[in-house]
Amino acid sequence: MRKTRIPICISAMTVLVALISLAFLFPGNARADDRVSIVDLIENMKKYNGEVVTIEGEAIGDIMVRGDYAWITVNDDAYSRKSLEEGGEFVGMSNAGIGVWLPKGDTETIGILGGYKNKGARVSVTGVFNRACHEHGGDTDIHAQRIGLVGKGYRFDHPLAYGQLFAAIALAAACAFLWNVRRNRMKKTVRGE
Amino acid sequence: MILRPTREDWKLIGWGIGRVILAIGLLMLVPLAIALISTEWNTVLNFLVGIFACVTFWLVMENTCYVKRDLSWFHGLIVASLGWLVAMAFGAIPHFLSGHFKSYLDACFDLMSGYTTTGLFLLQDLDHVAHGTNMWRHLLTYAGGQGIIVIALTFLFAGTAGAFKIYASEGKDEQLLPNVIRTARAIWMISLTYLVVGSLFLWFGLMKDGMPVGRGLLHSVWLFMGAWSTGGFAPQSLNLLYYHSLLIEMITMIIFVIGSFNFALHYTVWTGNRREIYRNIETRSFAITALVGTFMLSIGFSKVGLYTSLTEFFRKGFYNLVSGHTTTGNSTVYATSFFKEFGFIALWAITLVMAIGASACSTGGGFKGLRMGIITKSLWGDIKSIVSPESAVVREKIHHVKDVWLDDALVKGAMLIVISYVVIYAVGGLLGTIYGYSPSVAFFDSVSAGSNTGLSAGLTTPLMPALLKVYYIFEMWAGRLEFMSVFALVGMGIAVVRGKRSGRR
Repeated sequence: MRKTRIPICISAMTVLVALISLAFLFPGNARADDRVSIVDLIENMKKYNGEVVTIEGEAIGDIMVRGDYAWITVNDDAYSRKSLEEGGEFVGMSNAGIGVWLPKGDTETIGILGGYKNKGARVSVTGVFNRACHEHGGDTDIHAQRIGLVGKGYRFDHPLAYGQLFAAIALAAACAFLWNVRRNRMKKTVRGE
Repeated sequence: MILRPTREDWKLIGWGIGRVILAIGLLMLVPLAIALISTEWNTVLNFLVGIFACVTFWLVMENTCYVKRDLSWFHGLIVASLGWLVAMAFGAIPHFLSGHFKSYLDACFDLMSGYTTTGLFLLQDLDHVAHGTNMWRHLLTYAGGQGIIVIALTFLFAGTAGAFKIYASEGKDEQLLPNVIRTARAIWMISLTYLVVGSLFLWFGLMKDGMPVGRGLLHSVWLFMGAWSTGGFAPQSLNLLYYHSLLIEMITMIIFVIGSFNFALHYTVWTGNRREIYRNIETRSFAITALVGTFMLSIGFSKVGLYTSLTEFFRKGFYNLVSGHTTTGNSTVYATSFFKEFGFIALWAITLVMAIGASACSTGGGFKGLRMGIITKSLWGDIKSIVSPESAVVREKIHHVKDVWLDDALVKGAMLIVISYVVIYAVGGLLGTIYGYSPSVAFFDSVSAGSNTGLSAGLTTPLMPALLKVYYIFEMWAGRLEFMSVFALVGMGIAVVRGKRSGRR
């Protein structure tokens, strides 16, 4: 009897360790299950109203401080991962974002906000989703309980658009030529030729 | 007898369109300056390409189409209608080069939406767009609100007696001053004064609500341009919802209501006749239809029960209703909320007021309050004549700057335009329904495009069918020019095909 018990315990322990190891190996997949996309929130407002949800995306635009609190906007569309300015692909939609109401102190972790020249900080926000927030005049928003920095923002450069440069030079030359033609024609008109 | 246009006619039209395109090129200097200040070098190149393309076109037209003749009504109508289409193609150059449009058609859609102060857009990834491109989006809606022909008249048509003909062809029949060039400049004086005052109010409001000084200044100018022109563009994808600010919503609402008034009314009030605001048929018509819309909205909201306080009713309901009525399109809710959160009655309340629209000779679109007033008064006159003795002569008048007696020609003209609007709304709605969209959504977006409003219930996206994009471009263009120039263009097509050669060369 003893001989058979030890291998079963060892097998069970091995399976358990393997499962725990798998969880550590693929942490993103485990967290992704808890996250909600902003499009999902907007399309199913009734379902999520008043629920604690977690979103993850790029902080864009501005931090607007109101007293001890502040508004930020978080986008989680495809462009929040790689914007068109960074060379991202067209996905056939504009941005998907939502306003997040959070304590002013929590905004200090954000740093760089997304825009034309910047990749904004990637943040994870956990908070209460409001379909029509009574505190904020019916706005659809999230009142943050916890905010975490997933990835720092950074500035990036745009490579010079040589195609546009060549086109501008060629068109400027055409303008100069046509302007000269017009001037000669007007001179002839004045002389009555 | 229909006469076929001569070579001289074509040359005159080409010459006029060349001047309109030059005006577009000159306008691009403003976003070029903003791109330079913001050190957005690729955007600078985009606008240089756009400017040189416009100047090249103008010079080609100057060199090949110069004739010693003045514009007639026919030329004016064609220059206005074709000029808008050519201006769309040239104005779309910097947009397309910005890399935020999947196709040139999408860029043209946004241009026509801007010129016609509609506000629908197919630009992708708005939140990462350059300052220069954002300035162009808002400037073209601001300029389009005054009328791109007005811009050309202000600077480029001085001294031509035919100027009034193309001015009136752009859907503006009000002449504020005896000289049409001075009228065009008066329109600009009114708009620029409001631009300075309105932007300052918005700037202080934005700074109070936590925006940084520099970006606050840019946003205030852009928000003013979007609201005043009743275009409804905003620099961020969340539109007015981005700011979470009652103050900004109130200021923009005041701006777009004032912007939706007739320029003749503005001028009359500016020159001291303040009573005109209460007496004018358009302000009265607007007040009545806004009241009816608000009543419908409150019934709709009471059934849904989502917005429970007066502040919420004002910010989410009334704001969007007035934005729709003035054909602005600034919005404080998500596009899908109109369909999914507002309920059937509130959605159709906004659709109805969008269809009616703002004032004639303003930056707004739709049937226009003046026509609603004329038709209602005419109906009232008919009812009175039925109940009056047979020998009685019943005549109705309206007050629009001065008293105007209604006659059959006036009523017939108003009816023709209103019916034309109904037809383009209906065709767009049916087309959307055929493509599989919900009828409420399809009609909402079709009315929004035809009335130059810009609110969307979710149909207008870069993924919508190309045919619908083309149809919406047509709706925006025809609605903004109030059909007369479009009829003229159709007439020209008939003259080219079936007209007889005239004797003159």
